[in-house]
Amino acid sequence: MSPPDAPHLVVRQVSKRFGAAHVLDRVDLTIAHGELVTLLGPSGCGKTTLLRMIAGLESPDFGAIELAGRDITRVPPHRRNVGFVFQSYALFPHLTVYGNVAFGLKSRGRTRGDIDAAVKRALSLVHLEHLGARRIAALSGGQQQRVALARAIAVEPEVLLFDEALSALDRKLREEMQVELRLLLREIGATAIFVTHDQDEALTMSDRVAVMFAGRIEQVAEPRVVYARPASLFTLGFVGLSTRIPGTVAASGEGRVEVDTAIGRLSAIGNFIVGAPVILAVRPEHLRPAAAPSGNCASGRVRSIVFHGANSLIEIEAVAETTLLAQTANDASAHLKVGDATRLCWPVAETFAFPDPGAGA
Amino acid sequence: MTVAAAPAPPRGSSVDREQSMALAFLAPSLLFLLLAFVTPLVLLLGVSVSGRSGLSLESYAKLLGTGYYLNVIWNSLRLALLTTILALAIAYPAAFALARARGMVRTALLSCLFLPLAASVIVKAFAWTILLRSDGIVNRILIALHVIDAPIRMIFTETALVVGSVNIFLPFMVLPIYAVVTQLDRRLMEAAATLGAPPVAAFLKIVVPLTMPGVIAGVALVFSLAVSAYVVPTLLIGELYPTLASTIAKAYLLARDPQFGAAAGVVLLIIAIIVVTLSARLAGRENDR
Repeated sequence: MSPPDAPHLVVRQVSKRFGAAHVLDRVDLTIAHGELVTLLGPSGCGKTTLLRMIAGLESPDFGAIELAGRDITRVPPHRRNVGFVFQSYALFPHLTVYGNVAFGLKSRGRTRGDIDAAVKRALSLVHLEHLGARRIAALSGGQQQRVALARAIAVEPEVLLFDEALSALDRKLREEMQVELRLLLREIGATAIFVTHDQDEALTMSDRVAVMFAGRIEQVAEPRVVYARPASLFTLGFVGLSTRIPGTVAASGEGRVEVDTAIGRLSAIGNFIVGAPVILAVRPEHLRPAAAPSGNCASGRVRSIVFHGANSLIEIEAVAETTLLAQTANDASAHLKVGDATRLCWPVAETFAFPDPGAGA
Repeated sequence: MTVAAAPAPPRGSSVDREQSMALAFLAPSLLFLLLAFVTPLVLLLGVSVSGRSGLSLESYAKLLGTGYYLNVIWNSLRLALLTTILALAIAYPAAFALARARGMVRTALLSCLFLPLAASVIVKAFAWTILLRSDGIVNRILIALHVIDAPIRMIFTETALVVGSVNIFLPFMVLPIYAVVTQLDRRLMEAAATLGAPPVAAFLKIVVPLTMPGVIAGVALVFSLAVSAYVVPTLLIGELYPTLASTIAKAYLLARDPQFGAAAGVVLLIIAIIVVTLSARLAGRENDR
């Protein structure tokens, strides 16, 4: 993926309140041309409101939105040239598949020949070229999803906006569509923003993920960075699994801290003053049964094993009610059983320290 | 564009089963209609063609061949048409207001719509005569406001007739449209907007076609009710504006000519059947599109 060059979509200090509640709180976001970005967060975090604002279906109380070099903050939706794919698809039930896809082109006053060519192209991109005359009610959920997509891309919008667009599909179809959609968007060079609460979808689909919580963007980064280097405790918890151990900083220096915890002294990445309450975190795939201890280590007893095909997720009960989460490959070696005693170690470089939000309160 | 293959028909057995179930559920109402509706209609049809000396079409000839009675038919149609058009013009936006309203406002608006249905049409028609007569409330207010110097004639005019008729039949237009509007997905308007359609175009291309089934149902209801109205024209305009309904009443009650009354009744019925059938056809086509 190329780094963001000329900004295509700029969201600047956008805020919105409904009554006393901040739906969006000074949100900044810059998206390059051709970039696929996901707004990821729990329901109520403001991600859908932000998406609808970019489409012009909501208006911000403060802040500005620029698209392709034009300030569109106060431009009504029908003059924005955006494509929007709704969660419920919002297809026009009284029109055929063709009529739905042609709607945006007709609104733009294109000629008959132009419309016909564009509809055919859009329908063939989503592999529905043979269903143009079909009524919407006669389509399956997956086909309706494709029509909604074809309708949005037919007008070649400046940006495509997807509001939980895949969430109505069943799991297998959704995973296929994720891959197909990403390829399709790359092929037509589209700039797209997805809104989802599904972390797998976010990690699969996007060049960058913006993790949102309580009306703010917590972190914007490539999927692997969001996962491997979460910027906040919220991101850590929302994307992927982790072991969390509270403790107090005993020594600090050069980007590393020594932390006293219930399971002993551990090292982690971070800058804190001595005595600060922190939470240490590590992803499960870094915990390994170790012959020769290196980095951070802890002993415990296997409490449960959840089989996931290629690997298993193991819960280990350490001392002082601390639970460690480890993911191990299901190869022939080292089969742990429930009740086994084991010692696990993990690299200091994969151990993050976050300020403990519960300690200061 | 390719022509799509017809969707595969559902399995025959389940359709048969569904149909026989439907028939079973319909049986009581069909039986009732047969006894209480079809039988009298057949009798009515028989009476309308039986003269003093056997089979006779003279009543129909009189109805459809005399200027006076053609005018009567036209009066009924005109009243129904004017009432339907005006009711539609008022009811369409009202249905949207009703659908958008929330909480107490919605309850209040719905009550305004439903409660008048509980009052007899005679009461409502009399109320209009009180409002509109020369020393009625409307004239007094207009004089007090110096809009007019002397009472103007309002009652016994076609305007009064149509106003009263619209007032009385309006709920039958609002309710079917309201029912469709509440089903309308607001995202469709948003989708149209993001696709570049300005609000007016989106309304015409999306909302109007999708609310058409409600409009058709309302038009069929109000037209049928207004074309056969008896109380409203009798009280609000009377002899000046003879309608099919008043002609039927006169034939039975004054002229003691049941054959003519029955013939007028059949003509009225045919008009209503044509309107309802046309509406059903239109509604069916809307659904098929």
